[in-house]
Amino acid sequence: MKRVLIAVFVFLTVLASCTAFAAEGDKTLVLRTERAVPSLDWEQTTNTSNMKVWHQMFEGLYGMDEANNGYYNELAKDVKISDDQMTYTVTLIDGVTFQNGDPLKASDVVFSYNRARKNSRFNYLTSMIEDVSSTDDKTVVFKLNKPYSPIAHTFFCVKIASEREVTEQGEKYGTVPHKAGTGAYYVTEFDVATGMKMQAYEGYWRGAPAIKNVQYVVIDDLSAAVIAFKNNELGYFEDVPLSEWDFLSEASGENNALIKGNNILFTAINYLSPTNNNILANQKVREAIFYAVNKNDINLAVSNGRGVEATQYMPSDYVATSPVSGFKTYDYNVEKSKELLKEAGYPDGVDVGTILTYGATSASKAILAQVLQANLAEVGITAQVSVMEAAVVTPRLYAQDYDICVFSDYGNYDYNNIRQQVHSESTGMYVVRYKDPASPFNWQRIEELVDAGVNTADVAKRLEYYTELWSIVMDTATILPCLHDPVGVVWAKDLDVGKPVPTYYKVRTFKWK
Amino acid sequence: MYKYVLKRLLFLIPTIFGVAFIIFLVMNITPGDPARALLGLSAPQADVDTLNHELGYDLPFLQKYFNYLKNMILHQDFGRSYFTKQSVFDEVWPRYVITIKLALIGVLLSALIGIPPGIYTAVKQYSLWDTIPSVIAFFIAAIPAFVFGLLMLFIFSLKLNWLPSFGATTVYHFIMPTLTIAIPPAAQVMRFTKSSMLEAIRQDYVRTARAKGASERTVIWKHALMNALLPVITQVGLSLGTLICGAVVAEKMFSIPGIGSLIIDRILYKDEPILLAGTILISICFTVVMLIVDITYAFIDPRIRAKYTTGRKE
Repeated sequence: MKRVLIAVFVFLTVLASCTAFAAEGDKTLVLRTERAVPSLDWEQTTNTSNMKVWHQMFEGLYGMDEANNGYYNELAKDVKISDDQMTYTVTLIDGVTFQNGDPLKASDVVFSYNRARKNSRFNYLTSMIEDVSSTDDKTVVFKLNKPYSPIAHTFFCVKIASEREVTEQGEKYGTVPHKAGTGAYYVTEFDVATGMKMQAYEGYWRGAPAIKNVQYVVIDDLSAAVIAFKNNELGYFEDVPLSEWDFLSEASGENNALIKGNNILFTAINYLSPTNNNILANQKVREAIFYAVNKNDINLAVSNGRGVEATQYMPSDYVATSPVSGFKTYDYNVEKSKELLKEAGYPDGVDVGTILTYGATSASKAILAQVLQANLAEVGITAQVSVMEAAVVTPRLYAQDYDICVFSDYGNYDYNNIRQQVHSESTGMYVVRYKDPASPFNWQRIEELVDAGVNTADVAKRLEYYTELWSIVMDTATILPCLHDPVGVVWAKDLDVGKPVPTYYKVRTFKWK
Repeated sequence: MYKYVLKRLLFLIPTIFGVAFIIFLVMNITPGDPARALLGLSAPQADVDTLNHELGYDLPFLQKYFNYLKNMILHQDFGRSYFTKQSVFDEVWPRYVITIKLALIGVLLSALIGIPPGIYTAVKQYSLWDTIPSVIAFFIAAIPAFVFGLLMLFIFSLKLNWLPSFGATTVYHFIMPTLTIAIPPAAQVMRFTKSSMLEAIRQDYVRTARAKGASERTVIWKHALMNALLPVITQVGLSLGTLICGAVVAEKMFSIPGIGSLIIDRILYKDEPILLAGTILISICFTVVMLIVDITYAFIDPRIRAKYTTGRKE
């Protein structure tokens, strides 16, 4: 008996050593981050999940307001563009201080941009910048190596950090809390594994935020996050699983919103596939496939009917220059699909190989693949479905080693991002190779239009170019946008978040009821 | 005895070398590189090559391996994480401690839950008190740990709102994760204890003890249990080793920052320094646990103690 008691005592001692009970503190808004934040230096990843966290601490020359038409001037008071569209002169707003108390100066902007330019990770944002300099404390001049209309995205993505704070922290910068941003919050505790604690910056230039304490916790498992919210351990939960929507929206009372997502689920056909004697090189077969796709079925299966059936690659709600009409949309038409198959010489149907995608079998892409398979079967087209790990599938897609694929893209705020799907220089990013010796498409025009869109800041002109571009792409019957998945957001009953947005929420605009 | 312990501790050295070698080998034969994972697809190849060079990733395999061992042994330097740029030791050690706590509490719980019913069912063999716990143990042993985790989350967090669903800050945070990892091995410990006890209570010395008039309590606790415990301790020791690696289920489910979840997260980034340090620490722990199990044998069984004391070999 004595030994049993000793064992119990040892057990209790070990249990007690797992730290003391937490003290009840000030009211803290707890948010989830699905991935560990590797650093407090915003330059360390381009992962959207991490960027959402950094947006609370840092600001750029431009801000992003998804609820109200995109970019707006944040730290930039005024931006002047030269006639040749290659020089941008930015005047900074007055009265901005970093969290360490230093005033924001043009030299800090130059420092931050030069730092970003040295980081290959941001090549896609900074490669067009030839030089950044300051003429006085409030003016920054950007010289570009070519006219580049999507520069607004660069101004949004590149965040401004205090030169003094970064230099003083040296190698430690990013690994320990700092006050290098101009944002409404600064970090007081940071642990890569568990998350971070933030405190309101009382000297914030827009006025001190209403919520004083913020905590980000790393919860990568969605089910755990759902339970944490229901258990009142999370105050704000975005990108919630739609399968749990009814449950979560009920738990949150009226504090929930389903927002049209800035994303696209699409299917693509590899016209270069050798399957079944190059069956997919046949334009009529590809068109027959697209006409067989019932986007309503996809919406019901993927999002319980809560998504938005897509015709655009980027929703014009978030991308001002995204074409809305003037291109083929392949609306669901079984008869037309069968007719095209007949014209192609396959009146009794045909096998088109495999629909390839990745992720969990219960996730959006896999569901879409299964619906697609069923849709094709309706018109006599047979296809297998293969769902594998992303690490296995994505290299195959980028190497055009597939027949039909289901893929997704998200977080585009400028139509120039279409470049990654259609331009021959985007090797390793596109899934359809338009420039190829065997290509029947006018890929030269596609690339001309991409360049033309970049070279002008005129929104109407850009829209015109991109409409022609998207029209050519849709005529190839190789990419078919299917669904904009909704983004579900729920928040605590005692929290007011204003107008919810799908991605870049701002805690500074939140307040306790 | 000291010689034996020393010998076993010395075995750690080739173990560490071997583990490091295997990890290096695996990292070298698998496709991809850390710079590409860190810089993204849009980064030019030249920049990717430069970063790989800065990280020392492009060095020949054996050179990398020996450099790592040299830094580890001579400077106690495990390097810096490619992903976070933090000191590997600073990142790995706190997580390692959490996993050890989790596994240790888990194994203690599994022993506390498993051994008493194991003894009881053996003593009450063929009765209802044997059948019911045995069926329950079979049932529990067949259920994966994550099912218990989900069940507990549902009951204690979602429905009753008694326990926090994630994190590792307070004692409360450890209750569900430790039970999650403790219950399946507890069923195995119970079955093991029962079979071991059944074997022990049929031995001649137990019959002799009874014949000499020893009370049933003395027979069971002093004569049968002490002899039956040896294989049970092996089982418990082994399950501690398994739990250190297997705690990752609970770590992921309850968002506990342990070593298992760290290793899984960093595989994606080919964060070699973290993967090496993590696996080396796990292998050291496993070896030490096995050593402790062997030493415990000596404490429990005087025959083994005598063998080590006299240095006699059978």
